[in-house]
Amino acid sequence: MAEITLIEGITLALARAMEEDPSVVVLGEDVGVNGGVFRATAGLQAKFGDQRVLDTPLAEVMIAGMSVGMAAQGMKPVAEAQFCGFTMPMIDHIMCHAGRMRNRTRGRLSCPMVLRFPSGGGIHAPEHHSESPEAIFGHMPGIRVVIPSSPGRAYGLLLAAIRDPDPVIFMEPKRIYRWQKEEVVDDGEELPLDVCFTLRDGSDITLVSWGAMIKETLAAADELAKRGIHAEVIDVATISPLDMDTIIESVQKTGRCVIIQEAPKHCGVASEIAAHLADAGLYSLLAPVKRVCGYDTVMPLYRNEMKYMPSVRRIMDAIEEVLEVS
Amino acid sequence: MKTFHLPDLGEGLPDAEIVEWLVKEGDDLTLDQPMVSMETAKAVVEVPSPFTGKLVKCYGQAGDVIQTGAPLADFEVVGDTDEPPSKAVAPVDAKAPREDSGTVVGNVQAGNEVLQETLSVGQHKMTPAVRALAKKLKVDPAWCTPTGKNGVITAQDVKKAAESGVRPASAPPKTAPTKTSTSSVPSGQWEPIKGTRRTMARAMTESHQQVVPTTLMDDADIHAWSSDEDITARLIRALWVGAQAEPGLNAWFNGAEGQRLVHRSMHVGMAVDTPDGLMVAALKDVDKKDRQALRQDINRLRDNAINRSIPADELKDFTIVLSNFGKFAGRYATPVISPPCVAIVAAGKLRHEVVPVLGGIEAHRMMPISLTFDHRACTGGEAARFLQAMLADLASPT
Repeated sequence: MAEITLIEGITLALARAMEEDPSVVVLGEDVGVNGGVFRATAGLQAKFGDQRVLDTPLAEVMIAGMSVGMAAQGMKPVAEAQFCGFTMPMIDHIMCHAGRMRNRTRGRLSCPMVLRFPSGGGIHAPEHHSESPEAIFGHMPGIRVVIPSSPGRAYGLLLAAIRDPDPVIFMEPKRIYRWQKEEVVDDGEELPLDVCFTLRDGSDITLVSWGAMIKETLAAADELAKRGIHAEVIDVATISPLDMDTIIESVQKTGRCVIIQEAPKHCGVASEIAAHLADAGLYSLLAPVKRVCGYDTVMPLYRNEMKYMPSVRRIMDAIEEVLEVS
Repeated sequence: MKTFHLPDLGEGLPDAEIVEWLVKEGDDLTLDQPMVSMETAKAVVEVPSPFTGKLVKCYGQAGDVIQTGAPLADFEVVGDTDEPPSKAVAPVDAKAPREDSGTVVGNVQAGNEVLQETLSVGQHKMTPAVRALAKKLKVDPAWCTPTGKNGVITAQDVKKAAESGVRPASAPPKTAPTKTSTSSVPSGQWEPIKGTRRTMARAMTESHQQVVPTTLMDDADIHAWSSDEDITARLIRALWVGAQAEPGLNAWFNGAEGQRLVHRSMHVGMAVDTPDGLMVAALKDVDKKDRQALRQDINRLRDNAINRSIPADELKDFTIVLSNFGKFAGRYATPVISPPCVAIVAAGKLRHEVVPVLGGIEAHRMMPISLTFDHRACTGGEAARFLQAMLADLASPT
């Protein structure tokens, strides 16, 4: 057993998936010789050859289109976009083809592709390298959106995403790529998609988050624990489809909920969760649901980057507000 | 003289453009001092001085493109000419391996902290991953036989429970347990509680959950009373006298909103015992009524209660509650407050008690009084002064 980082969990899962299934192919810009912009595919081309780890031209539309075609014809492409901003030209292929292949062909074809890309800010990169577009992909029918928040979940969820018979958007929180290490057994065990992971048990307040914001959310839970307040921390993990059962069950217990997301507040996944709580969880709520989010602006350049992203302080302020009224 | 060649500033970049020289020819530089700012295809990078020494020559001006591996600057190095070049910049040979920062843009923080995810607390110990799996497979952790260390449920345990399809027979049935307890009662029949008794149960539960009750007990010396004194009317008058001393006990309290309403007049809720359960009926505006009017009201209310014909608006809006349980038995009590009221007074069974008086002892009639107040709304001092005023009023002959 080895202690590995989140990005090493990605590499490990890719290698495992390629080993067990010859139809798995990795493609993207600089994924081969270079090993990827963050080294997620390091060593894969040396191991599996340039027929299975393809360095593509700088052409995102082509990467997405090729992946849709390969997937429709029985391969399992795992495409990499270098940064979240570069997925925008891919959206036509993802939304109008990958997500609809099964429906459009009345079940004759499916589209078992994975599009991986680093998302989120906090590494001093330009603004179109730092966005969190999970709500954009989450809005597309037929597309599954998954974001891991630990090395173990990166490994287990990516394996599940690659094996899944339908398209999966796999967003990698790059700020925490190398933040922590975890013992991960490379045994090919996947983790379940479409369910939330409850990271902490608590009875006083439910904190819901995903991706890199889990770091600040856990820190807020630690601060609360010092004051004798027990927060339940839920990592959503699969953004779409959303496992609201776990969240509602938790809120039935705690009566309070704060949702933390790095993306802008307007039309975000936090709003979707809050709407579900207003619908199915209203009678359990003791206080209004609060969302702590990025601002409705373009991601600032790096001097102001951390002011944009929800801090532990901002999360604590929202929690105080909730605790004050209930 | 030493020549410094432009190292590979990215990952296999062929060249870089000079943005600005931060030093000039002839300057004395120290090792790692920022020297020149270079722009690559991906970022602007500050190149530090590789030596401590004098900068002799700069190759190129701002805007010039320098090929990777081409000369960038000449130095006169102080002292040992074999001084090793700075570690901060790769050696002149662009092909030599350098430490990988793991990104071509920005800076990814690396940590060595090892994550150990906490186990669920409570009955079933499992990691978040196993809990998520159980959720996905719709397996109740109670159906699993833990095989992990220290009774931890593993992913295999969950899968096994899922495969077996049915939950073990030993698992307790999920149906309501009240059914079974009904049949096992040795005698008698369970019956649903209804009407007034149900209302009482709900009100008592609510009170028990909200109120912070404190009870004071004392005796009113009613030795001076005539034998036909109207006990209930006197008690009601004493309540109003008490409220004049301490208005805070004739009040409503709303803990959720953090608000209190001190009433200017008094509606006394009379606790009435009926076969169907306890009822509290309001005597309105007792502070504005003389004794006769009060008596008429009391009688009407009592008759109505027994006939179950109390108008709905007389069952609410009381500001303080009186219970006269002592007609039957019992000396002191800890009466239960009916929110939003903050006080209840209960009178126990009258008795004679030996009282030391000036020049000897006498047997006096005494009325035990128990006052429960909500300590969220009133202080102990307020309650004691309220009680003191009541007792003084009750002691008066008329």
